Amino acid sequence: MPKCTINGKEVEVKEGSTIMEAYYQTGEAIAHYCYHPGLSVAGVCRLCICEIEGNPRPQIACNTVVTEGMKINNKSEKIKDGVKWVLDFHLINHPLDCPICDQAGECGLQDQYMEFGKYNPEMSERKVKKHKVVDLGPRVVLDSERCILCSRCTRFTEEVTKTNELGLFNRGDRTEIGVVEGKQLDNNYSMNTVDICPVGALTSKDFRFRQRVWYLKDADTICTGCSTGCNTKVYFNKEGIFRIKPRYNPDVNGHWMTDTGRDAYKFVNREARLLRAQKHTGSGWTELAPGQAAKDVSADLKSAAGDSLALVLTAQYTLEEYEAIIPAFINEFKTKKIYFWINNKESFDDFDGLLARGDKNPNTKGLLRVMEKHGLSGSWSDLEAGLNSGAIKTVVVAGPENQFVFPDMNEKIKLLSKAKKLVWMQSGKNEALNALSGDVTLIPMKSYIEKEGTYVNFKGLEQKVKRVTTVVSEALTLTEATMLMAGRNLTIPTTKELFVESNRREDEVMLEHRKKNEFVFRRGSL
Amino acid sequence: METKLLTEFYHLDEFRGIEGYKKNGGYVELAKALKMQPQAIIDEVKAAGLRGRGGAGFPTGMKWGFLPKNNEPRYLLCNADEGEPGTFKDRMMMERAPHQLIEGMIMSAYAIGSKKSYIYIRGEYKTPIRIVTQALEEAYKAGYLGKNILGSGFDHDMDVYSGAGAYICGEETGMISSLEGLKGQPKLKPPFPAVQGYLRKPTIVNNVETLAAVKYIIRDGAAAYKKYGTEKSAGTKLFSLSGNVMKPGNYEVPLAYPLKDLINGLGGGMKPGRKLKAVIPGGSSAPVLTAEEVERATLDYECLAGMGTMLGSGAVIVIDDSQCMVDLLGVLMHFYHHESCGQCTPCREGTGWLNKIVHSILEGRGRLQDIDLLMKVADNMKGRTICALSDAAALPVLSFVSKFRDEFEFYVREGRSKVRGTSYAEMHH
Repeated sequence: MPKCTINGKEVEVKEGSTIMEAYYQTGEAIAHYCYHPGLSVAGVCRLCICEIEGNPRPQIACNTVVTEGMKINNKSEKIKDGVKWVLDFHLINHPLDCPICDQAGECGLQDQYMEFGKYNPEMSERKVKKHKVVDLGPRVVLDSERCILCSRCTRFTEEVTKTNELGLFNRGDRTEIGVVEGKQLDNNYSMNTVDICPVGALTSKDFRFRQRVWYLKDADTICTGCSTGCNTKVYFNKEGIFRIKPRYNPDVNGHWMTDTGRDAYKFVNREARLLRAQKHTGSGWTELAPGQAAKDVSADLKSAAGDSLALVLTAQYTLEEYEAIIPAFINEFKTKKIYFWINNKESFDDFDGLLARGDKNPNTKGLLRVMEKHGLSGSWSDLEAGLNSGAIKTVVVAGPENQFVFPDMNEKIKLLSKAKKLVWMQSGKNEALNALSGDVTLIPMKSYIEKEGTYVNFKGLEQKVKRVTTVVSEALTLTEATMLMAGRNLTIPTTKELFVESNRREDEVMLEHRKKNEFVFRRGSL
Repeated sequence: METKLLTEFYHLDEFRGIEGYKKNGGYVELAKALKMQPQAIIDEVKAAGLRGRGGAGFPTGMKWGFLPKNNEPRYLLCNADEGEPGTFKDRMMMERAPHQLIEGMIMSAYAIGSKKSYIYIRGEYKTPIRIVTQALEEAYKAGYLGKNILGSGFDHDMDVYSGAGAYICGEETGMISSLEGLKGQPKLKPPFPAVQGYLRKPTIVNNVETLAAVKYIIRDGAAAYKKYGTEKSAGTKLFSLSGNVMKPGNYEVPLAYPLKDLINGLGGGMKPGRKLKAVIPGGSSAPVLTAEEVERATLDYECLAGMGTMLGSGAVIVIDDSQCMVDLLGVLMHFYHHESCGQCTPCREGTGWLNKIVHSILEGRGRLQDIDLLMKVADNMKGRTICALSDAAALPVLSFVSKFRDEFEFYVREGRSKVRGTSYAEMHH
């Protein structure tokens, strides 16, 4: 464990650590672009120069290993001036299009210029022209002029995904990033290149031009796209959720996440959601408040208590919710007919070798754990037989939150609607459900970012998440629905952060938020 | 007077073929070397004080000594990517005496325990590629390459690899990248090639002239080789003399040979009516010397380093009084801008910037502050990158501008050359 001194602070680092890691450890500021802790060292941006006592030439921090007693400093005038110049080299051919650049606000060049630069530029020559709006693949767009050639994205496709779609073409200041002939940047991890791009060169087709980043709040959560449970950050404002980015967790996902996981906000946003409860009686659909709907079915369930009542669960809810609903059905509704709806049996154990798993549910382990605890082992064929014979008359379904990963949705709706009475709880809209007739009640549920709870990932790691925000304020959690269905009273705590005012005109919202957020509602589209 | 050690038989056309080469003492020392202990060869080369002839002048024996002492496979690469503007010695060596290089390489490979070597020749050198390839075939046929060379039990294979026209592939790690089939750009050091080079195995990269000289160290012994030159710059060296002299060409002289004797003696002096203005002593990357400095300069590592320049690859470019320094810098900057690999930011952006500033001055758009800006940009490119190309671009700028500032200022003020009297546009149209 060698000890070194960083800007006068003594620090002990792991054997073989680089100076850059020592800087990270002490929290001292050091300029850098090409260095990324999840990738190999390229040493090309030349920004992380620092002085080492006894060494006449400044060295780069990212490729120099700390040795015992090393005295490192990047606060001297010589180094500061050197960093300024290297920053200037980065900027001389970089377009000054920050006002229309998607990266503005979270741009490495902007940040580092403010911290280490602030010089008077002397470049008075013409800038180099390169390609604009290069379509790299289905999800990523490149602006070569903004690119500072840090090679993070090429190293990512080389080292992490090992798909090698990206390369550096040409040389000198004509160098450009590009895809290899005949290839597209189309792997399930392609959007990570957008995250690691320190400038606005690589932008996400999904996110670009939809929101300025300074109008977004972010909060920590996890991804519910599969059983890996990648740690993520969601970016949102009053309009909804705009994007999801990975959050570093060495035990789960490292620095990365999948592209499919990034779509996990789409079923959370208001457009995809079931906003009010719906009840189908003989004459057609009527809308009512979700809490009321849950209360209404209470009496029916109580009268159906016993073996003619069945509960179908998907593995998309939290551990706490299962702990509420399963005992309630066993003890209060006197039924052990509780079934686990497996969405994609054939590919359940698939794994792409990096992060994505075939089990597209966040909490399979958690559900199985609770079911086992209560001695439940209902097989799906029992349910089918019961429905076909008419032995099961009432079915309560805790349906999927993410319907994209349930290819058997329509098939299961058809099967379960054989019951005389169907109570279907789910967060999203579904046309097949609305096409049903008979005694059907649909109750809107809260999505994963609107509640807190625990998910157990594929390897049994429990991850507790906090509530991020509210999208549909009246929607219930499974716990709340259980309480109401069991006939207990519940006052739903209304939160102040209700961000979607559904019945108000858009311009009213605009007026109210004008000072803060003038452009939020003027969106473009691809 | 030339001291013909390596070039003794270069005037004989037969020296190019294996028979003629053997007739004139070829492959005699190979048998001798293969009977020596490998370490003894390394010690001999160390004792001879041989330094790399490609440009950096790094002691060859010391470089070989960096190899790990284990049985890992290792490679010997011959750097024949002679791209430094003004240099044309390796070309002549390969064209006139390919077997001399091959013999030197087999000895060196034996010394470092390498079973495989490559001769990386720049792509534009079509003739040398053909000649060396042919010579390799002859050497294989004669049993100097392949399995159990001359009954010594030493196996060695050698191949020619053709570059694709990039100056940067003359940098040793750039060459290794290129040889591996990657984009030819230098690799981050450490690890150094001697530890992890070609295919991540220990690799030694030496210049053509360095490897060829090994033969003569084995033949005559370290002491005899050391008689030429000085303590720190031992041996003979080929110099490529170019510019407005009477007899440009390659000359082999002992190191520490006076520069003015090379120009005025061997080179036959300036062309009639021309006066010496400046000399670039070691290829275009070396800082320029003024006529007054040329008087004092001797061609060895330490004297030239003391004058703030370097021996480099031994390309002596003579500049006479009809040449405009601003024009010349324009040519050089175009070259470095074209050849920067684009990896490190200071070099990628800096070479382009320098090129644009010089051309702004040439095209009459220059401002007086541009002259200082040239110095500042060059100063901040120096020593900030993975390889030395950035320095190679910066050093000429610093020396040209500081030593011939009047020509630059005249160009900015008048929009025309002080020497030619005409503008850039007039010169080109």
